[in-house]
Amino acid sequence: MTRNTRARHVRFLRSGWLLLLVPFLLAGCDGRQSVLVDGGADARILTDLFWVMLTGAVVLWIGMNGLFYWATRRSPAPHSQRMANWLVILGGILFPTLTLGALLVYGLTLMPDLRATGDGPVIRVTGEQWWWRVDYTRDDGSIVTTANEIRLPAGVRSTFLLDSKKVIHSFWVPSLGGKMDMFPGRVTEMTLGPERPGIYRGQCAEFCGESHAWMAFEAEVMAPEAFEAWLDAEAAPAVAPTSAEAGRGAALFLSQGCGACHAVRGTPATGRVGPDLTHVGSRHSLAAGRLGTSVEDFAKWVANPGAWKPGAEMPAYDHLTDAQIGAIAAYLEGLE
Amino acid sequence: MRDSDHDRQPHPRGDAHEFAEERESLWRITLAPTIWAFHFVISYAAVSVYCFRYDHLAAMGTLRAALIAMTALMLAAIAWIGWRAFQRWDVRGTGEFSNPEGNAEDRHQFLGHAGFLLALISFIGVVYDTLPLIVLASCR
Ligand code: HEC
Ligand SMILES: [Cu+2]
Repeated sequence: MTRNTRARHVRFLRSGWLLLLVPFLLAGCDGRQSVLVDGGADARILTDLFWVMLTGAVVLWIGMNGLFYWATRRSPAPHSQRMANWLVILGGILFPTLTLGALLVYGLTLMPDLRATGDGPVIRVTGEQWWWRVDYTRDDGSIVTTANEIRLPAGVRSTFLLDSKKVIHSFWVPSLGGKMDMFPGRVTEMTLGPERPGIYRGQCAEFCGESHAWMAFEAEVMAPEAFEAWLDAEAAPAVAPTSAEAGRGAALFLSQGCGACHAVRGTPATGRVGPDLTHVGSRHSLAAGRLGTSVEDFAKWVANPGAWKPGAEMPAYDHLTDAQIGAIAAYLEGLE
Repeated sequence: MRDSDHDRQPHPRGDAHEFAEERESLWRITLAPTIWAFHFVISYAAVSVYCFRYDHLAAMGTLRAALIAMTALMLAAIAWIGWRAFQRWDVRGTGEFSNPEGNAEDRHQFLGHAGFLLALISFIGVVYDTLPLIVLASCR
């Protein structure tokens, strides 16, 4: 081996080892959207499934490579017909049939737990371009509408009724459980039983158009009492603007026609085309996970939604002055 | 191919005879996979139609029992087909695994071989199809 090729081999090995480090680097992410972080029993079941499959795959991979090594380096001579027959019958028929059968039974036994009936709130989520309409049904039958954020009580199973307006989306909070497709004109049902309070991240998991990748949401798991308090607050009409600037923003909101698409309950704005903004100021993110919720974020969004989400079905308001946009942003940010 | 095959004087009705046999065996090797296909379609259609609208007509247990009984019959049929094919292959009698020669006898045995393997995979397929019926007890 020449010096040169040796150096190349060493380089290759080094880069190979670096690749092995990648999973550990990824493990350093905050895990709000990781299947391996379990926010509840469903995610734990799926995480176990993942590890079982991974371990099995690694063992098989090593075993197969061991056989290749054995057959090409250790014992390259032809085998007897008898030996070859047994190899095919055992390794080619019996082993895969039993392994796949066992995996199938294992996978099937997991399903009833993942599909247990809900005993918590019933939440209707509708996929839109590119955001989520969210309706909670309360015990008295009344409906609380919000958008782009899911809140769940810990310790009970919430039921999701999933629907879509135009195209297929998929509802997925990896740290809380599996995903379920949303079809136009057909309601699919899913339940999730989160246990660990925290803020997780959900993501549309079925390509649905230009801004599909920007169609995310925050999912907050709360203590049951905190959840009830939050739902009470969410059901209430919007608070009145508290500053003069926000007051100007409220007036602009109506005069600019925002209310044709957005509802702010308790005001003349009752549109249903876009997300309900009644309590948008208390959310964790803006425009389905695209931006934060600072006054600047609101201003950036209103001035030009398409700059943040290509194809967003909201017009740009770049004809407004910075002061006007700022006033609208102050109003929206105050809608807690 | 052996030279003797070229030299051999054909039997007056040898061709017809041979063709008939080949055709019959060809049909026979598709039997087991056909049973598998029917099993798949019937099981899935029955359960989805039942769960979609008709779950008030009968208990899930009744449907499962009926489908599992159907499965048992189909498995028995496939096993019988496989056993007949195995005999036709006659690997233990001739010691010949792959029947590489193109004469009628070889074709007959080769079709037995193929039929046996198809019956085997159909049997496994039907068992796999049935596992959800055994493990899952409800429409959810
Ligand atoms: C033609 C209908 C339409 C009009 C008019 C409209 N919007 Fe929107 N708006 C939308 C849609 C649709 C979305 C969701 C876009 C997305 O996330 O892809 C949206 C999103 C938003 C959001 C983010 C909501 C959330 O849940 O995070 C805010 C804030 C907002 N609009 C404010 C305004 C303001 C302020 C005006 C008026 C200056 C306005 N909109 C006018 C349709 C409209
Ligand atoms: Cu989507």
